[in-house]
Amino acid sequence: MRQIDAYAYSNRISKLHPAYKVGASLLALVLCLTLNRPLASLLILALMLGLTIFWAGVSWRFVLTLLLTEGSFLLAGVLGVAISVSTMPDAGGAALGPFWVRSDAASVWLALNLFLRALGSVSAMNFLALTTPILDLIELLRRLRVPEVLVEVMGLTYRFIFILFDSLERMTLAQEVRLGFGNWRSSLRSAALIGTNLFIDAFRRSRILETALQSRAWDGALRVLPRKYNHPFQKCN
Amino acid sequence: MQLTFIDVHVRYPGLDISALNGVNLEINTGERVALVGRNGSGKSTLMLTANGILRPHQGALLLDGRPVRYDRSGLRELRRNVGVVFQNPDDQLFSASVYQDISLGPLNLGLTQAEAHRRVQEVAEFCGLQELLDRPTHALSGGEKTRAALAGVLAMSPRFLFADEVTNSLDPWMRPQVLEILDRLADSGCAVILATHDWALASAWAQRVIWLEGGSVFRQGKPGASSWLT
Ligand SMILES: Nc1ncnc2c1ncn2[C@@H]1O[C@H](COP(=O)(O)OP(=O)(O)OP(=O)(O)O)[C@@H](O)[C@H]1O
Ligand SMILES: [Mg+2]
Repeated sequence: MRQIDAYAYSNRISKLHPAYKVGASLLALVLCLTLNRPLASLLILALMLGLTIFWAGVSWRFVLTLLLTEGSFLLAGVLGVAISVSTMPDAGGAALGPFWVRSDAASVWLALNLFLRALGSVSAMNFLALTTPILDLIELLRRLRVPEVLVEVMGLTYRFIFILFDSLERMTLAQEVRLGFGNWRSSLRSAALIGTNLFIDAFRRSRILETALQSRAWDGALRVLPRKYNHPFQKCN
Repeated sequence: MQLTFIDVHVRYPGLDISALNGVNLEINTGERVALVGRNGSGKSTLMLTANGILRPHQGALLLDGRPVRYDRSGLRELRRNVGVVFQNPDDQLFSASVYQDISLGPLNLGLTQAEAHRRVQEVAEFCGLQELLDRPTHALSGGEKTRAALAGVLAMSPRFLFADEVTNSLDPWMRPQVLEILDRLADSGCAVILATHDWALASAWAQRVIWLEGGSVFRQGKPGASSWLT
């Protein structure tokens, strides 16, 4: 997750206005789902991969690994469509222990179509996740007039995920050096301890954060400047 | 400008004993002050009091001879002039973006967006953060976080800057850089008050060392001067 986050703000088009990227991936998603043709799905997949790798400059290794991981989950999912398994004796199927397994061209074709459709959609989402910082998505929501409170909470949540991530790593390490995860019993104990401490830590941190905000003359509304973006048909500044 | 503590007593809510016990102190703009003292002697409490987060239950805090008012506008006036950088920058950086985090203070002071933007650019340059403005705060190194937290306070152009052990977690390369920022700040006429456990740093860097003990000023003076020993 940290790596996806890191690509999101360091890729070549990270400063492009998020509306373009959200628009492109939503368009791809909708096309993929409504056209429902394997060829169209394949084209969209190729296009999205191309945009991510060549336009945004994200490492092809990382993009493909990510897609492969997601793809293997999808594959497992569509396997049930391609083949049907039953305990009843089946004339057209093959016996596999107590089960009868059967498959035919139509269901394989259906499964393939489904798989490509899902993979195309996933690649569109990957494009968005890898090229657009979460902050920009939040900013976009703000500009779309989503209530300010929600936007602030989303921003703070995003900030706190990483703060608590660090705490979690520290606490896990502290337990490990004291042989906390040695066996099943002590693992459970350690996990419970970490859970409690993490909660207390989050609470403590939010108190300090509030104090720190007060010291900067905060009065309840988190006023910040909007982020600045590039537009594609305009000179970069 | 002058910030004065007169017999200031401060107590944390729910605690009987005072964390500050009759502090008498005078700080002038342009001064470089080191605040030393053992753990729990009241350094952090003093800083929070200077900024109006904690309110004395006895004694008074004066800004340019006038007692600080603890209402909305009074506190805003105090915080415009007195800034605090916290010990752990992660406690202070609330926004996921450096640029947005720095912009909080100026906007809170009622500056327009254009003015706030200019302020952010200025302090970013002052603290060497120009390249990092678009970075998420969690993707900064420790030294960069410290500078970002510092910039967030400097953007309010305070006349008194209290920095709580900001040099502690820094490596020997980053430390001089942050100290250099503090030096330039003092040269520009801001008072810099640095809490530290590093006596060598305190006597080398500061014009005046204030030694807190048990919540009050135990000793103060120019480091190395004979009056310091008595
Ligand atoms: N949030 C709090 N609630 C209650 N008591 C507190 C709180 N913070 C500090 N204290 C108490 O106030 C006293 C002064 O603490 P303070 O944090 O000001 O010391 P310090 O000089 O900054 O110490 P250190 O060098 O460890 O940072 C201590 O006795 C401490 O226990
Ligand atoms: Mg302290």
